[in-house]
Amino acid sequence: MIQFDDVSFMHQNGVMALRGINLKVTTNTLTAIVGENGAGKTTLVRHINGLLRPSHGKVLVFGEDTRKQSVAKLSRKVGIVFQNPDHQLFSDTVENEILFGLKNFGIQEKEQRDQLEWALEFFDLSRYRNVSPMLLSGGEKKRLCFACILAWDPDILILDEPTVGQDHGRKEKISLMIANLLQKGKTVIIVSHDIEFLWPLQPRTLVMAQGEIIADGNIAEVLSDDSVIKQANLVRPQLLALAIALKLKPPKNVEEAAKALA
Amino acid sequence: MYWVAGGFIYRRIDSVVHRLDARVKLLLTSELVVLSLLSFTVAELAIALGSTLAIAASARILKRMGRTLLFSAGFSATIFIIDILVGYTIIEATVYSMRFIAIVGSTSIFFLTTSPDELEQVMRWFRLPRDLIFAYVTAVRFVPVLMLDALQIMDAQKSRGLEIEKGNILKRIKNFSPVLIPLVVNAVVRSGELAEAMEVRAYGAVKKPTMLYDFVMKNSDKIAAILSVVLMIPTLYYFLFLV
Repeated sequence: MIQFDDVSFMHQNGVMALRGINLKVTTNTLTAIVGENGAGKTTLVRHINGLLRPSHGKVLVFGEDTRKQSVAKLSRKVGIVFQNPDHQLFSDTVENEILFGLKNFGIQEKEQRDQLEWALEFFDLSRYRNVSPMLLSGGEKKRLCFACILAWDPDILILDEPTVGQDHGRKEKISLMIANLLQKGKTVIIVSHDIEFLWPLQPRTLVMAQGEIIADGNIAEVLSDDSVIKQANLVRPQLLALAIALKLKPPKNVEEAAKALA
Repeated sequence: MYWVAGGFIYRRIDSVVHRLDARVKLLLTSELVVLSLLSFTVAELAIALGSTLAIAASARILKRMGRTLLFSAGFSATIFIIDILVGYTIIEATVYSMRFIAIVGSTSIFFLTTSPDELEQVMRWFRLPRDLIFAYVTAVRFVPVLMLDALQIMDAQKSRGLEIEKGNILKRIKNFSPVLIPLVVNAVVRSGELAEAMEVRAYGAVKKPTMLYDFVMKNSDKIAAILSVVLMIPTLYYFLFLV
């Protein structure tokens, strides 16, 4: 469904941000992209909805070349929740903020109403529906950004640093939301530095460094490799570090770890 | 948009003009502006514009100045049309629109080759109020930051189905509101945060703060200043007494 064929990308200032990326992401999977700042993670995902076009190679989304599609058309299928909510919110009320995308995509009034109610309810924003988005707290703004994108039900959801500014409870809610989306058959891609958040989700993990994918596979497998950890300057999740130290099978959560240690 | 903005942003380059003392650069720019204002024929303005472009070439900013001039060409064309409509001749309208381009070019020499730090030093040298200097220099420093913000906001809104370039001119202006509102709100929030950050770092605690660096004019700066004044004297004589 998403395919990168030998994709390279050079910024206007001459910096090579992606080098020879070959990648396939299939339907209804969870993929995490990790790596240092400036490794090319955000540049890579911006190619999926056409915000960036490859300098070399091609990106196919549902078999269609992104170079031949408008961002608006691709965005109907690929929703990106950006890192900074302050770069997205502008409407006078939370309700209008959510409706913005639905109107842009020409979604019918009845469906607009249903999707709006679902999004307000799912993200616990109903009581703020007539409040200005500017008056929400950081965590609430982030939730509103999720609601704005999920409201039009894209097939692919890309989350750029979804846990920034979220407390533990909210992070768990995001995990639940991701599980829910996967159950609905969606494809989810997460760009994150929060390895502890990713670990229980057990995603396919791509590690990026200097514009290249240096490792691709199951999170436990990828993060067990010392050279990958060193090259991408990553820190292992605590449960994996413990399992490696005790030479155990990596546990997915604390319960599994307790069972293995008992 | 970023392409146009690049024509207004200072970049560190090692060139003869960049190395000059900021006061000398200001003197050169002022002389070029005076030259443009005193020129009343196409030929005279061509010489003023040519001198500006020659200095820009030696500063290796010709390409970026080209963007500024291209951006100003729209305003220049408006001046030309208005002049024709109010009854000026084609030659007069050409002179006025060319003069605008020449003034924009000469002032951009100063801004494209002078860092915000040097700008601050020049303003201090003129003994302008400290708060005014700080506000102005901060605004200049934040231009690239705001540009980057604008690009990120545009990307975010395009990803929500906004098609900025679609529709007639009125629709396009309206399309910009989802970009402008977060941009302005961010700028206001950032300015509040900056004010607090400055206060906690004792901004305004003493009336006359001490400075680490001071202006020292090198011999090359003095030579450049004297040379420009020497060239300017006969030019002024020509415009004031011979034309």
